[in-house]
Amino acid sequence: MSIIYILIPIAILFVIIAIGVFFWAVKSEQFSDLNKQGHSILFEDDKEQHNKSNDRDKSV
Amino acid sequence: MTTSCFHCLEPVPPGFSAHVQFEGQPQPVCCTGCQAVAETILAQGMSDYYKFRTDSAGKVEELVPEQLKELLSYDNAEIQQDFVSQQGELQEVLLSVEGISCAACAWLIEKQLLGLKGVARVDVNTSTHRAMILWHPKQCKLSDIIKSLHQIGYKAYPFQADDEAAQKQTVAKAYLRRLGVAGLMTMQVMMFAFAMYFGMFSGMEDNFEQYFRWISLFLASPVIFYSAMPFLTNAIKGLKAKQLNMDLPVSLAIFGAYAASCYATVMSVGEVYFESICMFTFLLLLGKYLEFRARLKASEFTANLQKLLPLTARKLLPDGEQKIVAAKSLQLSDQIMIKPGETIPADGVLISGSTTVDESMMTGEHLPVKKYQTHQVYAGTINHDGVITIEINKVGQNTLLNQIIKLQHNALTKRPKIVEVTDKVAQWFVACLLIFASITAVAWYQIDPPHAFWVTISVLVATCPCALSLAIPTALTCAVATLTRKGILIKESHVLETVPKLTRMAFDKTGTLTEGRFSIESISILDKSWQESDVMAMAVALERYSEHPIAKAFTEQVVSPRQLSDVEVITGSGVKAGFNQQRVAIGKSAWFGNHSSFAQATLFVDDQPIADFYLADKVRHSAPEIIQYAQSQGLSCHLLSGDSSNAVKDLALELGLDTYKNACSPQDKQQQVESWSAQQHIVGMVGDGVNDSPVFNSAHLSIAMETGADISKNTADVVLLNSDLKSLQTLHLVAKKTKTVIKQNLTLSLCYNGSILPLAAMGLVPPWVAVIGMSASSILVITNSLRLLKL
Repeated sequence: MSIIYILIPIAILFVIIAIGVFFWAVKSEQFSDLNKQGHSILFEDDKEQHNKSNDRDKSV
Repeated sequence: MTTSCFHCLEPVPPGFSAHVQFEGQPQPVCCTGCQAVAETILAQGMSDYYKFRTDSAGKVEELVPEQLKELLSYDNAEIQQDFVSQQGELQEVLLSVEGISCAACAWLIEKQLLGLKGVARVDVNTSTHRAMILWHPKQCKLSDIIKSLHQIGYKAYPFQADDEAAQKQTVAKAYLRRLGVAGLMTMQVMMFAFAMYFGMFSGMEDNFEQYFRWISLFLASPVIFYSAMPFLTNAIKGLKAKQLNMDLPVSLAIFGAYAASCYATVMSVGEVYFESICMFTFLLLLGKYLEFRARLKASEFTANLQKLLPLTARKLLPDGEQKIVAAKSLQLSDQIMIKPGETIPADGVLISGSTTVDESMMTGEHLPVKKYQTHQVYAGTINHDGVITIEINKVGQNTLLNQIIKLQHNALTKRPKIVEVTDKVAQWFVACLLIFASITAVAWYQIDPPHAFWVTISVLVATCPCALSLAIPTALTCAVATLTRKGILIKESHVLETVPKLTRMAFDKTGTLTEGRFSIESISILDKSWQESDVMAMAVALERYSEHPIAKAFTEQVVSPRQLSDVEVITGSGVKAGFNQQRVAIGKSAWFGNHSSFAQATLFVDDQPIADFYLADKVRHSAPEIIQYAQSQGLSCHLLSGDSSNAVKDLALELGLDTYKNACSPQDKQQQVESWSAQQHIVGMVGDGVNDSPVFNSAHLSIAMETGADISKNTADVVLLNSDLKSLQTLHLVAKKTKTVIKQNLTLSLCYNGSILPLAAMGLVPPWVAVIGMSASSILVITNSLRLLKL
C-alpha cells in the first residue's frame, strides 16, 4: 500500500501538466470560437488543396 | 405555394424567375443579388456551403457606386493607420462581417479569401462575427478583399477594437483559467474526499488518512489562492467603499472553512472540508463566468454596430470638388460636407446651410438642436435634415469624441432598476446575515464551544444570498443573449420590463410594414412644357440629398444630374433647392398646398407642381402574421404614416389594423403617441425612417429596423438586425418568459434562504450540507435562467 506515497505525487504531477496545457490553450485562443471547429470536419476539401489551386493560378 | 430562394431562403417574389444550377437541378433565387452570389459560390466549387449550413444566409444587396467609392478609400494608407497593423511583410486587419450565421459561413469566407492572391491567413470567429485577415499588401488590396467578401454575400467593414473590448477579452481568459484550475483540482480533491468517506466506514489507517488530508490541503490551496481570490478582493474592495457586498459572506465562508480545515489538518483534530470549498468555488465561478459571457456576447454585438464615428469624410477642395478622405487626416480649417442622416466626422463650425442635429449622445437631450451658420457642431452627432458644410476647428484629442465614447459605455453598463433594487436588498441581507451569524457564534459559544465555529460557518454558507443576487442578472443576460442571437439588439435596459406591459403598437408604413423598396411605376406630367427626361433629371438631382426610402427609387435611375444650390431637407415634406434662379422642390404632393394627388412624390418648380411620381411598394410578408399575433395578445395595432396617399388606407384594411392615420408629420406622430400615453396606454412604436426619430422618444418602447436611417437606429431602444417583423413576436415571447423566470428565481431563492436560516442556526446543518444547499440553490436559479437561452 505504501506505493501510493509515490503514485499520488506522480498523479499530481500529471494534473499540473494538464493545467499547464489548459493555460496554453486559453492563451492561444482555442476557446474563442467553439462553434466553428466542430463543423469544420464536415467540409471535404481542406486548405491544402486550395493552396495548390492557388499555386496553379500563379504558375499560369 | 411560394417557393423560397435557394440562397437566402426568403420567398421568391411572384413574376421573378431566375435560377442557378446546383447538382444538375435548377434552383430558384429571389433576386439578382442572390443569383450573383450563389453563382459565385457554386462556380468556385464551394457548394458544400449549401449542404452544411445550419442557418439561412441574409438577403444580398448589390453595392452602389457610393459604397464602392468608400471601399476604395480603405486602401488609403492614412485611413488604414487606424485598423491595419504590420506583421513583418504582411498586413493584418480585423474585419467585422455582417451576415455570418453559422460555421458554414466561416468556411465559405475562409475558402473564398484564401483563393485570393496574396491572402496568407484568414481566421473567422463565428461568435463575434469578426474575421482576422493577414495579407500581402503588394499582391492584393484591402478593398479587393472586402469586395471579394461581398461577392459571396457578406458585408464587411474594418473593426476598430477599443481598449475596453480588449480588456474584456483578458477578463474572459482569466475567468477560464481560474475555472480550469478550480475544475481540475476539485476533481482531484473529491477523489481523496471519497477515499476518506469510505475510510470512515471500512476503517483506514491513521497515517493514510493524515496523508490524504495533507494532499487535499496541497491540492485545494491553488483553488483558494488563485481561483477564489477575486471573491476576496471584491469583498475587501466593498469594505473599503463601506459597502457590504455578496462576496463578503462568500469569502468569509470560503477562507474561514479553509483556515479551519488547515488547522484540522495540522493539528489532526476535527473535520476537513477541502472538497466542499473547492466545489463551492468552482460552481460559483461557473455561474459568474456564464453571466459574464452572456454580457460579453451582447456587448460584442453592440460594438459591431456602434460605429460611432465615420472613418471617412467628404472634404471640399478649394476648386469645389468633393474628395473622400480619412476622417483622421482632417486638419484645422478644412471644409467638409455632410449629408442628412450622416454622422458628423469632426468638431467644427457650420459655414453654409442650416440643419438640426441630434446631440443626444452627448447631452442626453433627445430634442434635435437647430444649427445655423457660426454654430458649433460636434463629431459623433448626427445631421438630421440639411446638407451642411462645416469648417473644422478641433481635431484629435480636443474633440468631444472621448466624452461621447464614455457616455456610450455608461449606457451599455447601465443596470436595470430591478437589478439595483436586489443589490440593495442583498446588501441589507448581508448585514443582517453577519449580525445573525455573530449572534449564532456567541450563543453557541455559551452552549457548546467546540461546535460554535462550524455552526457559524454553516450559517454563513447556507444563507449566502448568491441565488438572490443571481436571480435577476442571469435571467436578463440569458434573455438578451437569446435575443441578440436572433438578431434583436436590445440597447436600453428597460426593454424586457416594458415589453410585457405594452397595450398599443404603432407602426410606420414605409420600410416597416412595407419593404420600403420603391420603384417608379409611372410619371404624370402636369406642366406640359416639361419633358419627361428633364423632370427625371431634376428629381434625381434633388432626391440624392434625401435618405427617405422613396429617394432610393430615384437615385437608382441613370441620368445626368443637375447642379443645385442651397439644398435643404425638410423632415416630413421633402427636399428643396435652388436651380438657375428657380426654386425647385420634390416631396409630398400637398407640400405647397396648391395641389393634391395620390402620387407619393411631386416635383415643384417655383411652388407649382410639374410632375407626379407614382411609386409601388410591397407589404412585408411577415406583416399580416405579426399584426394578428399582436391582436391575439390584446394589443391594438395602429398605423401612423407620413404618406398622404390612399395606400395607407388600403394597407390598414388589408392588414386589419385598428386605426390608421395618414399624412402625419413627425410632430403629428409624436402628439398621437403622447395622447395615448396620457390615456395610460403603454405604447410601442416600430419605425425606420428619419421622421420616426422624434416619436421614438415619446413612445415607451421604440423599435427600429436595421435597414432604417442611422439616426432612428441610434434613438431606438431595440434594433431588429434582420429587419424581420416576426422578431417582434420573438421579443414579446422572450420578454414574457423572462418575467416569469425572474419571478420563479426570486421565489426560489427567498424560500431557500428563509427556510435554511433557522435550521443552520440550530446547528442542524453541517457545513458540507450547507455548501451543497447553497450551490444547489444557485445552480437551480442559473439553470432556470438558462432555459431562456433555449427559446
